[in-house]
Amino acid sequence: MPFTLESMEEIASLHGEPDWLRKRRKSSFDAFERLPMPSRIDEEWRRTDVSGFDPAQYSTLEHLNGQKLVLPSTLPPGVILKPLRQAAQDHPELVEPRLFSLVHADRDRFSALHAAFFTGGTFLYVPDGVVINQPVIGQHFSHEGGTSVLPHTLIIAGKGARFDYLDEYIAEHDDEAGYRSGSTEIFLGDGAQVGYVAVQKWGRNVWHFADQRAELKKDSTLRLLNVTLGGKFSKTRVEASLVGEGADAELKAIYFASGEQFFDFHTLQDHQVGNTRSDLLFKGALQDTARTVYAGLIRIEKGAARSDAYQANRNLVLSEHAKATSIPMLEIDNNDVRCTHGATVGPVDPISMFYLQSRGIPEATARRMIVQGFFGQVLERIPFEHARALVEAELEARLG
Amino acid sequence: MATVPKVDVGTDYKEKYGFFVPEDFVFKAKRGLNPEIVKEISWMKKEPEWMLKFRLRSLEIFRKKPMPKWGADLSVIDFENIFYYLKASDRQSKTWEDLPPDIKATYDRLGVPEAERKFLAGVSAQYESEVVYHSLQESLTKKGVIFTDTDSALRDHPELFKEYFGTVIPPADNKFSALNSAVWSGGSFIYVPKGVHVEVPLQAYFRINAENMGQFERTLIICDEGSFVHYIEGCTAPIYTTDSLHSAVVEIIVKRNARCRYTTIQNWSTNVFNLVTKRALAYGDATMEWVDGNLGSQITMKYPSVYLMEPGAKGDVLSVAFAGKGQHQDAGGKMIHVAPNTTSTITSKSISKGGGRTSYRGHIKMYPDAKNSKSFVKCDALLLDDDSRSDTYPYNDVDAENVTLGHEATVSKVSDEQLFYLMSRGITRSEAETMIVNGFIEPFTKELPLEYAVELNRLIQLEMEGSVG
Repeated sequence: MPFTLESMEEIASLHGEPDWLRKRRKSSFDAFERLPMPSRIDEEWRRTDVSGFDPAQYSTLEHLNGQKLVLPSTLPPGVILKPLRQAAQDHPELVEPRLFSLVHADRDRFSALHAAFFTGGTFLYVPDGVVINQPVIGQHFSHEGGTSVLPHTLIIAGKGARFDYLDEYIAEHDDEAGYRSGSTEIFLGDGAQVGYVAVQKWGRNVWHFADQRAELKKDSTLRLLNVTLGGKFSKTRVEASLVGEGADAELKAIYFASGEQFFDFHTLQDHQVGNTRSDLLFKGALQDTARTVYAGLIRIEKGAARSDAYQANRNLVLSEHAKATSIPMLEIDNNDVRCTHGATVGPVDPISMFYLQSRGIPEATARRMIVQGFFGQVLERIPFEHARALVEAELEARLG
Repeated sequence: MATVPKVDVGTDYKEKYGFFVPEDFVFKAKRGLNPEIVKEISWMKKEPEWMLKFRLRSLEIFRKKPMPKWGADLSVIDFENIFYYLKASDRQSKTWEDLPPDIKATYDRLGVPEAERKFLAGVSAQYESEVVYHSLQESLTKKGVIFTDTDSALRDHPELFKEYFGTVIPPADNKFSALNSAVWSGGSFIYVPKGVHVEVPLQAYFRINAENMGQFERTLIICDEGSFVHYIEGCTAPIYTTDSLHSAVVEIIVKRNARCRYTTIQNWSTNVFNLVTKRALAYGDATMEWVDGNLGSQITMKYPSVYLMEPGAKGDVLSVAFAGKGQHQDAGGKMIHVAPNTTSTITSKSISKGGGRTSYRGHIKMYPDAKNSKSFVKCDALLLDDDSRSDTYPYNDVDAENVTLGHEATVSKVSDEQLFYLMSRGITRSEAETMIVNGFIEPFTKELPLEYAVELNRLIQLEMEGSVG
């Protein structure tokens, strides 16, 4: 089934989707047809080569079953947790005004393709004042041999709601090929506190495109972490709009690129109002002939006085043929702010290596300890225990 | 012809440093850009055939290249509404007394003779498009140093000229280097022989003085092995009502163990588009230093760069930008590490006030061969009011093994504590802010020769006057 209008209609009718969603898919499909393939002339894609990617090659869509929700043993009353498409039918008043309102379908060709054909994904609604103590986990994978897995997560946190959510993108086999996108929209009401972790460990021959965007209202707190390990190509956008005073966004990432992997991260800390805070730290290690690109922007809008923004990208280059690009950008339109950023690209510190080896630790172990220590700063900030254990185990496996 | 939008040049500019003298030209080309104009320029200058071909080829490239889509908005430039060549006097003056009186009047306002009286070795002052005043101390000539205008160099030192001209910045490098290559005129040419240290800074004053006149000077500096030279250029421009374009190309070759420092204080009037390509090649253990101050112009786009070609080469950029009302300073630096064991630093200080915008734009590239190289970039921005804006766009590309690259930037306002402290000592708010700004750019000021440092402090003072409440 190719990516055509007919196949799109088929998805919609197969699942009895409401009219508004069909229309939305249709307009996204039009955008997909209209938008050009990004090329190296576009600043965002200058270092990111997608010329080898042809979605038509992977047009067997994975249906609803490529997903499993691990629910906490008890859900407080009023919480809605179900597959997104089910929620679109049952709760249009919640879904319709928000779906694809943060992650725009017409941003580029891949965003449009995702919006037109998304299948799996989770909808989580936590009403005002409700607290969930155990994390909610959505697992996404190719189950029925689908070569395209396109889940979309929509999270709504009511005023003062508090919970953690984990999206896990899993490979059945490490050598599976295909097209993946895992996009997420998070709405935080006044005073909400949300922990969100996305662990991407697709197979080694996967093209992955993800758009994550959160909107933070007054006094809300978001702690967001991306762990990127899989895919042959992975492009992740992480964006936070701070629209209410007192909002606080913590955006963290860990990535480990080896073999011929290519990872691209695009971040935005958009301070639309004052007295807001954002803290970004992306740490990555590169091995073999891997390549990574980080490009991030802090934007402080005109009225956003007394904003406090931090942005750092640190790259540990473990081999001579790995390449890292780091572009941390600032656009500051208000003078009453504190805004700092930094980027580093460098090898394992020889002095640290010498110190460890002089204590009788073999070279390989010493290196491993240094890499672990490098990630430690982010690991200890992982918002909840379940995710921390998972990420530590993944990194452990990766370090060998 | 496209209409040129009205440009705000700052209402108080004229009182501060705006002045102009009546135009008196020997030759004035027509407005616009076409092969005939280019041929005419080349003919006027009695250039060899290869230079004419070079110019015409560059014009072709200029026509083909698209306008840059990034950086400042350049769409208001009307290339057909610019004079591409002007010559103020048909011969080179040997001494100060020989200069035409109106040109002298202009220079008096700028303080050139005083500067010369103090300790200048040579003055090569550019009035309009061509160097008209030029003096070189005998001791320099004895040492074999060539310091002349670029047109004379083409005539008098053809072999040396042809060997290096256009090798650092080829016409196809960017749209504006192509434009400059097609219509260039004037600029300085310096050759420092092996092992020669030029103890005093060489300087040239550049000026734009005719309405709608583009100035396309071309500077070429060659530092032979083990030599040292410090070149200073400073610009001020009188006030005019329509846009002027300044698009220079500066090429520098620093050979083994040599050191070159190039200092710029740019203070064009706020209707000038200042689009300059500056690049140096640094060979084994050589040092190239750009000290770059941008105060004037409506839009500046300038990123002095150093290509670190051989092991041990070192590059340094120290950049200061000040953007007031209606100004956009898009400045920064580029360090291209080609060889192993090379080092570079970029320090950028920018100040925005009264709705001005400063952008740092930089590029660090470490090619695969650039093993064990190091680079560090530090950008500090000061925003003086909440109408102003500051951006940072650092591009860091690392393709090499065992390199260390760091980038840091901060954006802040004048701190209330510092202001309070100074004001509690009886200093007015305005004076206190000026002191803080002067302190902020001190790392830059202290690298300048004394009279430039004094001039810069005074300029900052003028810019800061009445800036507060």
